[in-house]
Amino acid sequence: MTPRPAARLAVVASAVGSRLAALLLGAACVSWTASPLLHTGLAKTALVIAIIAVTAGGLRLAFADIPQPEDQFYLPGYQHAWLMLLALLRTLAWEETAVAATLWLEVQHPVRPWHTFALGAALLGYLLATHIAESGAEAGPLLRGHGRLLVAGACLLALGAGFAMIPAAAPGAGSAVLRVLAAIAMIAAAALVLPE
Amino acid sequence: MIPNGSGLLPPPRDATGLAGTGRGEAGRDDAVADDTGLDNAGSNTAGLGPSSEVMADEVTVDWRPSRHARRLLTLAAAGLLLAVLTRNPALAGVAAPPLLILGMARFASTSGHSTSGRGARPGRVSVRVGLTASRMYEGEPVAADVAVKRADGYDIRWVLHPGKGIEPGSATAVNGQAARFAFRVPRWGKREVGIVALTLHDRWRLAEGRVSLILPAVGCYPSPAVQRTEVVLSKLPNRLGEHRARVPGDGTEFAGIREFVPGDRQRAINWPASTRLGRLQVNTFAAERSQDVVLLVDATSDVGTPGESALDLGQRGAAGAARAYLDARDRVGVITYHWGGAHWLAPSLGRRQVYKILDLLLTSDSGYARGAIFSRLPRAALPPGALVVAFSPLLDGRFVEALRDMRERGFALIVVDVLNAAPPVRRRSADVAAARIWHMEQDAIRFSLRELGVPVVAWDGKEPLDLPLAPYTRRRFA
Repeated sequence: MTPRPAARLAVVASAVGSRLAALLLGAACVSWTASPLLHTGLAKTALVIAIIAVTAGGLRLAFADIPQPEDQFYLPGYQHAWLMLLALLRTLAWEETAVAATLWLEVQHPVRPWHTFALGAALLGYLLATHIAESGAEAGPLLRGHGRLLVAGACLLALGAGFAMIPAAAPGAGSAVLRVLAAIAMIAAAALVLPE
Repeated sequence: MIPNGSGLLPPPRDATGLAGTGRGEAGRDDAVADDTGLDNAGSNTAGLGPSSEVMADEVTVDWRPSRHARRLLTLAAAGLLLAVLTRNPALAGVAAPPLLILGMARFASTSGHSTSGRGARPGRVSVRVGLTASRMYEGEPVAADVAVKRADGYDIRWVLHPGKGIEPGSATAVNGQAARFAFRVPRWGKREVGIVALTLHDRWRLAEGRVSLILPAVGCYPSPAVQRTEVVLSKLPNRLGEHRARVPGDGTEFAGIREFVPGDRQRAINWPASTRLGRLQVNTFAAERSQDVVLLVDATSDVGTPGESALDLGQRGAAGAARAYLDARDRVGVITYHWGGAHWLAPSLGRRQVYKILDLLLTSDSGYARGAIFSRLPRAALPPGALVVAFSPLLDGRFVEALRDMRERGFALIVVDVLNAAPPVRRRSADVAAARIWHMEQDAIRFSLRELGVPVVAWDGKEPLDLPLAPYTRRRFA
């Protein structure tokens, strides 16, 4: 007995929806962090890498269901190229590259704490959406399981942004480093004591 | 799919017990589906029935961080590193949520502490694998059942990586403690079903426990061709059977009337004839005999489209002929001719012989025989006076020579020509000429066999075997 068309449609819609969500979140992260556009060499490079990585990650999710053929001998050139593209998409760590490039692009801008706060939240959403899309996990139970930690993480994210807005107690590099270390220590302490 | 038809050949799923796995109906008490609730696993495969357990074992789980964990770690590490390098606490905040999730997952896995009550990650899990049939005919659906125990509280995902020549018939990725994967084998032969990858995800989906299960191999029999009539020799050996012989005997079929001689049974007296002729007349009956049939399969040349190749047709024809002759209570044997030798099975009777023949036919897949030498087959493999039905594309000269030799030794021989492909021809004159020469050579081979008294009938594999054999099934074959 084959599944009813409505049920099949729902499954397809769910798969397409999660993949599209991941791609859109990735694109949103890149465009959010890229604005305003900077014209320095490093910023441009980071932007290009981020765009490529997000696009490739989206393509990887889109082509996830295409199987590899059993025999890859004596294939026509275009099929061989297509299989190489699929292998490239599936081998490299595109999401990790996108995250690193996006954060590096953010660093190129002047300090803007709440902008960074929103970027952090969006990047986490991008990674969760990617995971949901590629693993086929149900979004509801997964997010409910992570719910408390995500709320706590958002609070810490806001605290980090808040720390960044506090003016330095004394001028000099040392006070800035101290603020960073204080933020990290607070995050670590929260991770250790927060009950599951 | 060609129907099984006769009562001699039971449905293939019953063959699981007959063909040597040692599991009959009684062995199905331990069916995987019964104790794991697999009937809920896939409604479209439920019609395949319960499976017989083929493997139950405790396997080690290989735990490692998931891809999701690696991505979160990248986000956290990049955030922290850039925070220190740029002295920007907001970037440290970016690292906070992934660090929290990673820390919690680590804490829960090492301490076994969890509100859901699950303990530390299991190092070993109990896995059971079952198959609804280990032997089947081409194209028949079969299902593999897999189930895991002692993995409560984990998200479980099964993925089937089908082996070569296996066509999945259902989803190849299933979530749940038990799963059923339906598949088909489109072409005969011994096939590895494939590998089932079991992945256990913890609550946070940051650690993955992986187990790979190698599914057992299955044997796929060639679908028997339809054959309802048999070629019967004019001279039958003196053995009780179901074919009417020319000599009088104790059969049930009326043969004629003769004068009564002392010793005849009284109940055989034909009273109307006796009254008419004025002397006592008795009915005579024809003897009923069986014959030895040897099926000869030429496995040296496998030309044509896979699935419709000459060897495929030969296998299907031999399987159908074996069934037809065994239905008629003949003794049937088989010889498969390979490069370098032959495999053989002495003629015998009965249901078991069907499966012995089919099992032997599967060895044609190996391509090279280490069995007997074809020119020195033992007498048991080729008994004198046997009817030999050869399935061959007649491409191998040595095989053709062997057929001629067999005919000269007095065997009654029929060749079923299963060649259904020709060499590709380009439009060059040389190629066209070569193709013509090839066709003429083929015609010459067939002509020379016919000249020796060996009928060669062409069979395309689609029509029943009765049609090409009709001229020889209507009358006695010498």
